[in-house]
Amino acid sequence: MSDAARWQRVQQLFHDAIDLDDDSRQQFLARECADDHTLIDEVIALIDSDAESHTLLDDGVARAAHSLLAGDSASLPTQRFGPYRLTGLLGEGGMGVVYRGVRDDIGAEAAIKILRDPALSPARRERFRLEQQTLARLHHPGIAQLHDADTLPDGTPWFAMELIEGMPLTEWCRVHRPPLARRLYLLRKVAEAVAHAHGLAIIHRDLKPSNILITGEGDVKLVDFGIAKQLDADGQSADRTRTGLQLMTPAYAAPEQLRADPIGVHTDIYALGVIGYELLTGTLPFALEGLTPAEAAGVVLNRDPARPSQLARQRPAEAVHATRSQWADLDVLILTAMQKDPARRYATVDALLRDLSHFREGEPLDARPDSLGYRAAKFFRRNRPAVLTSAVVVAILAVGTVVAGVRLARARDLAVAEAVRTQRIQQFMLSLFRGGDDEVLAADSLRVSTLLERGLREAATLESEPAVQGELLATLGGIYQQVGEFTRADSLLQLALRHQFVLDGEASPTIVRRLTALALLRADQAEYAVADSLFVQATEMARIVAADQPDVLLAAQEGLGQVRYEQGRYDDAIALFERTLARHRLQDSTATAVAGDLIHLANAHFYAGRYDTAAVLNDRAMTLYRQRLGAAHPLVADALINLGAIDAQRGNYADAEPRYRRALEIIEPWYGPDHHATASALTMLGRVLVQLERIDEGRQTLERALAIQEQVHGPVHPSVASALNELATVAMNEGRYDDAEASYRRMEAIYRTTHDSDHWLVGIAVSNQGGVAGRRGNHPLSEQRYREAVRIFTASQGAEHVNTGIARVRLARSLLRQGRFAEALQESELGEAIVAREMAANSVWVTLARKDMAEILGRLGRTADSVRIEKMLADAEGEGT
Amino acid sequence: MMATHGDSEREHLDHLFSVAYEELRRLAAAVRRDDPAASLSPTGLVNEAWIKLARNPAVAQTSPLHFKRIAARAMRQVLIEAARRRHASKRGAGVRAITLDESLDAGMETAADVIALDAAIDALAILHPRQAQMVEARFFGGLDIPETAALLGVSEATVQRDWRAARAWLASELRPAEPRPQ
Repeated sequence: MSDAARWQRVQQLFHDAIDLDDDSRQQFLARECADDHTLIDEVIALIDSDAESHTLLDDGVARAAHSLLAGDSASLPTQRFGPYRLTGLLGEGGMGVVYRGVRDDIGAEAAIKILRDPALSPARRERFRLEQQTLARLHHPGIAQLHDADTLPDGTPWFAMELIEGMPLTEWCRVHRPPLARRLYLLRKVAEAVAHAHGLAIIHRDLKPSNILITGEGDVKLVDFGIAKQLDADGQSADRTRTGLQLMTPAYAAPEQLRADPIGVHTDIYALGVIGYELLTGTLPFALEGLTPAEAAGVVLNRDPARPSQLARQRPAEAVHATRSQWADLDVLILTAMQKDPARRYATVDALLRDLSHFREGEPLDARPDSLGYRAAKFFRRNRPAVLTSAVVVAILAVGTVVAGVRLARARDLAVAEAVRTQRIQQFMLSLFRGGDDEVLAADSLRVSTLLERGLREAATLESEPAVQGELLATLGGIYQQVGEFTRADSLLQLALRHQFVLDGEASPTIVRRLTALALLRADQAEYAVADSLFVQATEMARIVAADQPDVLLAAQEGLGQVRYEQGRYDDAIALFERTLARHRLQDSTATAVAGDLIHLANAHFYAGRYDTAAVLNDRAMTLYRQRLGAAHPLVADALINLGAIDAQRGNYADAEPRYRRALEIIEPWYGPDHHATASALTMLGRVLVQLERIDEGRQTLERALAIQEQVHGPVHPSVASALNELATVAMNEGRYDDAEASYRRMEAIYRTTHDSDHWLVGIAVSNQGGVAGRRGNHPLSEQRYREAVRIFTASQGAEHVNTGIARVRLARSLLRQGRFAEALQESELGEAIVAREMAANSVWVTLARKDMAEILGRLGRTADSVRIEKMLADAEGEGT
Repeated sequence: MMATHGDSEREHLDHLFSVAYEELRRLAAAVRRDDPAASLSPTGLVNEAWIKLARNPAVAQTSPLHFKRIAARAMRQVLIEAARRRHASKRGAGVRAITLDESLDAGMETAADVIALDAAIDALAILHPRQAQMVEARFFGGLDIPETAALLGVSEATVQRDWRAARAWLASELRPAEPRPQ
């Protein structure tokens, strides 16, 4: 009998005998094993062992592991490494160990790095070899030099490099407490060494203070190129499959590293920013201690760091001393390097070095303070997809408005940038930056706002140079608009426009720009009709006087398109977007810009109800994104999500499901399973599953989305509230009113914490609670909730806003159910007027408002009116089909 | 074609193992530095490695269960190396100053236990490969019974039965220096 077969037999006997008492067990074994006493003994031994406790086996290896790992350190190999003999341990990491070694022949010391356990995998050997090759190519006083490399007879590869005796950068600063200039000198030296590597197309990928040593002479040395990477010709990382090896230190890792996006020189620039941040403030930008790696990544990806100046004020003991105006520049410099979007960082280390020089020389920086428009855009990018996704009509409209506002902001940023480019203005701005008292620039106020005050005073004195004065007024107005001070922006932009009319007469390209700027402000103020007529005026004028400046016309047209879109004049918007698209094609803009135009167009067609066209356009955009960015890019997923939304809108939920699933297949690996983008896609999938009446599956999907949002953002966050809203809707459809109400209440509490208590999002939570009460037949409570919602929407969005209208329509229904017909009619008329103005005649809310109104009128005995309304309903339905 | 597929599969596994191994070493190094935030148990380490590596393209194509199985093997490797080093440092007294620190001594004993366990699992693998795999996964990867059952494609009852027998067998293998009845 083989050992294996015997073991089978022993086990069988063991299981059969284990539960018998001693006597019957002996009888049983004697009977089963006949004379095989060895077998009997073996089984008995097993049974004895089964009864005994065994520390290692029963407690698991946790304790053992701790005691082994806690005291573990590599012992010193005794063999020789080429000419070197090892004399001590310097450090160890995941891959290798670094020893101190000495050459007995000439007495020189070196650091010897060996690969631990080389037999384990070829991938590790390959990486070790790459590090060695990388080092061999680098020759810079700021980088530790490679001396020698070889392989031991047992196959262990090793190399010897310059031994640096020094202190890690941040520790050195803690000990020596150098002044600002010295710290920036050190940062510059690090950056210069990094620039040398970049010049050889090598990126470091793991810059951090412990890899940057300050020698006794005060020199800077970069010591670890362990995960450095070779870039290919176009500056992108050569192999994308391994960019996600995640070997870097989270505190210094750039967002693209955490997302496994392509890395490049911008990755090192981010780390330089973090190092600079730490050098200046004595603190890391993000508090990651005690977080799991996933939580830490969430923080780095989603939170904005405090401005260095702010930290310096909070913890002056740890920060370097600098004046307020210096802090203002340092904030810009460091935060530019640390931008989450690589495209917004310094483009090269040299650009960062230039701004360090500007700072040293007291010149203005090339980097500009982050614009609010950008932050808002980023916020919405983060919270995308917003436009085509929400099943809650209320949310669609409200969010749609904000998103369009952001697009307008982008156009306006361009306009402002254009204005700032004017050389005279630059010179003027320069004088503002230079002149005056340092202390005027309060560190906690946006530096621009102080500048604005001063700019206004200066502008008044510029009458001898009216052109410059006009440009300045317009620029200042644009900046006020960006920081959200619409009233001041308004008076300045109007002043600039009048000023220009005086200068140029009736029409000029500059007047077109002024008109466009003012129109963009009106759009921001949601005064779409005024914005519209200004844009029209601007486009007409541009055709006559700015024929040679196509961008002037294009800006006005793009703005007009967005305003028409906003007003629901989708056909006009489409015509204008078509022109932007044609222009982008003509200018040979990037395929992704064209795809972006296609998506705009698709959205307009979608809202215009032309789902076929919207689908075709989304398809084309998706194809472009695929060709340009690869099939696994999130923009492809966005297009898939739009296509899914189109299917869902048409009621083709079965088609929507696979699209959302494909989108998820892209999004989940791209952002990770615990990312809010994944959660958003899950939310949409969940909704469709609910529509497909796969309620359990849908609920589970939505619950997973909620769990992710809670994990990513914590329990009190708008994304959590929005996920709760979805789940509550499911609960409501299932008749689980308690659950629905609890979720809506939690949603309300969250929004009250994260927003103003009169924010419209609070209004939506309150209004939805009214819906639950109504379903339960508790109409007085429902009425009370709707009245509160009306109050909140009126306060936050205005009496004429569509949300206010919807809340009134719902309130009217509640009053109708209570038999209070006169009051109901009043609310119904107010509400219907709003929703009928803002929404399509066959849309859900208009239909509902009119149905209820017809019923109310009928109850009040106004039969003729009632019939008239019902006729309107029938007509609208006819249009829709 | 099949051969190519096999090769790339092997390469993938090798890469996966190497990624898991290095991550575990790094996490173990944090334990070593007495970082209070560091996870202490292999289960915790393996889970943490999973969280940390989940975005790694090599890992992303792998199911969590499959990853845990590979990581369990890597964890076993990490621990056994630490144990061997510990053992070697004891034998090579003089290379390293021996203090009569209690924890160090305890570590010594543990090292011997872990080395013996490793050998016992190898021996079990010859008798019954599935049981050895099960022990490795449960022990070093922290897989619970349902996960182990799913991994091995057997019922939970089978896992429990196998586990009990394997545990008893390992316990008698590890019983210190007691002559086994012949």
